[in-house]
Amino acid sequence: MIESFLNFLQNTGAAALFAYGGMEAIKTIVMIIIACLLLYLAIVKKFEPLLLMPIAFGMLLSNLPVLKDSPALMMHTEWFTDTQYMIDGHFIDVGKIVREGGLLDLLYLGVKLGIYPPLIFVGIGAMTDFGPLIANPKSILLGAAAQFGVFFTFVGALVLSALVPSIMFGVKEAASIGIIGGADGPTAIYVTKTLAPALLPAIAVAAYSYMALIPVIQPPIMKLMTRKKDRMIVMEQLRPVSKTEKILFPIIVTIVVALIIPDAVSLVGCLMLGNLLKESGVADRLAKTVQNELMNIVTIFLGVTVGATATASSFLSPQTIGIVVLGLVAFCFSTAGGLLLGNIMCWLTKGKVNPLIGSAGVSAVPMAARVSQQVGQKENPSNFLLMHAMGPNVAGVIGSAVAAGVFLAMFSNI
Amino acid sequence: MYSEALLTGKDLPLSEALAMGGETTVIGLSIVFGVLVILMIVLMLFKVIFYKDPKKQTKKVNEAKQIGMKNVQGGAEAVYTTDKNHNEPYEPDEIPEDELVAILTAAVASSLNTSTYNLRIKSYRRVDGRQNAWNRAGLTETINNRY
Repeated sequence: MIESFLNFLQNTGAAALFAYGGMEAIKTIVMIIIACLLLYLAIVKKFEPLLLMPIAFGMLLSNLPVLKDSPALMMHTEWFTDTQYMIDGHFIDVGKIVREGGLLDLLYLGVKLGIYPPLIFVGIGAMTDFGPLIANPKSILLGAAAQFGVFFTFVGALVLSALVPSIMFGVKEAASIGIIGGADGPTAIYVTKTLAPALLPAIAVAAYSYMALIPVIQPPIMKLMTRKKDRMIVMEQLRPVSKTEKILFPIIVTIVVALIIPDAVSLVGCLMLGNLLKESGVADRLAKTVQNELMNIVTIFLGVTVGATATASSFLSPQTIGIVVLGLVAFCFSTAGGLLLGNIMCWLTKGKVNPLIGSAGVSAVPMAARVSQQVGQKENPSNFLLMHAMGPNVAGVIGSAVAAGVFLAMFSNI
Repeated sequence: MYSEALLTGKDLPLSEALAMGGETTVIGLSIVFGVLVILMIVLMLFKVIFYKDPKKQTKKVNEAKQIGMKNVQGGAEAVYTTDKNHNEPYEPDEIPEDELVAILTAAVASSLNTSTYNLRIKSYRRVDGRQNAWNRAGLTETINNRY
């Protein structure tokens, strides 16, 4: 009986923590504290709680002290990142994962195989109204200009790698970090799982944290880059958009994107599929399912598993600090890129375009558009920029998916 | 094609980092703008093909009305006559005046916390465009509370 009890004691988490010993134990405790801090931000501060909470809890689950090779281990990050566990050093061993993996290993296959982000895009598509964009086609350019931060940060990551010896970002890592500037979580995850899987947790946490901080990050840049007179501009009412236009739009976008940048089709195509389900009006049940049940289920799986990849060895490194700093740079420059083009459009149209809608070109829908609305309304209480800002905002979703496609086309096969 | 330094980031020379960054930025932004400009052109074609400007249509209708007015005496008055049995929702500009005064009286009475018997509306005037203050306040509150 005593032997059984001792056996039980040896298998407890506390015993495992002691077995880790020294630095390893401290790192585990630090990771648990970080997970709890993120849970606090999600629950108390309401920073993107729908995503940050599953991410933080996944982080907590994978960092709980469990003895190595214990069947209680829910996630084996090394099976997905360490080449010695892979077939021919390249391909993940799906058979081993299915036979021996824990719950989170199995769910993580959805991230690794690129299933979850496109499914989330189907849901986003079903929730998106492209009407404001169709009514004001010029606003699509603001969605392109706001991708400036993505490429600027790509350069920044390479420069940081050249200047700081302890940080090593190759082109693949730089592209994954740059895409944070797209302000689009699923896109960032999709690119990173392909190009730099080891950075996935840090990039996912940075992307979602900054998306939640958009109302804090953007307004000072918006005020800095625009004149009060321009911020007060009331824009002309948008024209009504017919159902035919709304149905044709997703079909045409899919075809155009496929013809130019096929790597972006899995994201843009799924986005447009969801939108077509909604706009067609003949598949309401499917539209409701993809924007509610499917989206929620996939969000839980994606969040928990991405969080679970944040182990001490991958997360507690100088690279994570670099990613956090560069992520902020990416957001700021994407906002600035949109505002710059917004100012140019304001000047070219002789004051018909309010430059504040430029900052909505980052694809965080609908937060970025809401920030444009709020900043505009502070200057002119009777001004409603929301629908005008939704045009660049949804264009930003397409723009960041295309930017992701560019990176994948350039770097996935090297 | 890419050097080891560019692939791993180890011992990456600054010049190579800048050259690679610059090249990718030019190519990447060009493709992003290219795709979105094509979509913009498609959307502009949408407007030409599918959208009929109501102003032009109204102009045509007005022209037709003027021609008709010459033939039908009293046609214009008929348009503005209030129908007591009106069941369709009214457009903002076509609410019968007596009903509008009743609504305004009730609104003022409610906000002043008094009875409608203590009030007499002498005149009213729209102060800020077509959207009334209640609509605007409701909209602002909705925007600020959602998401």
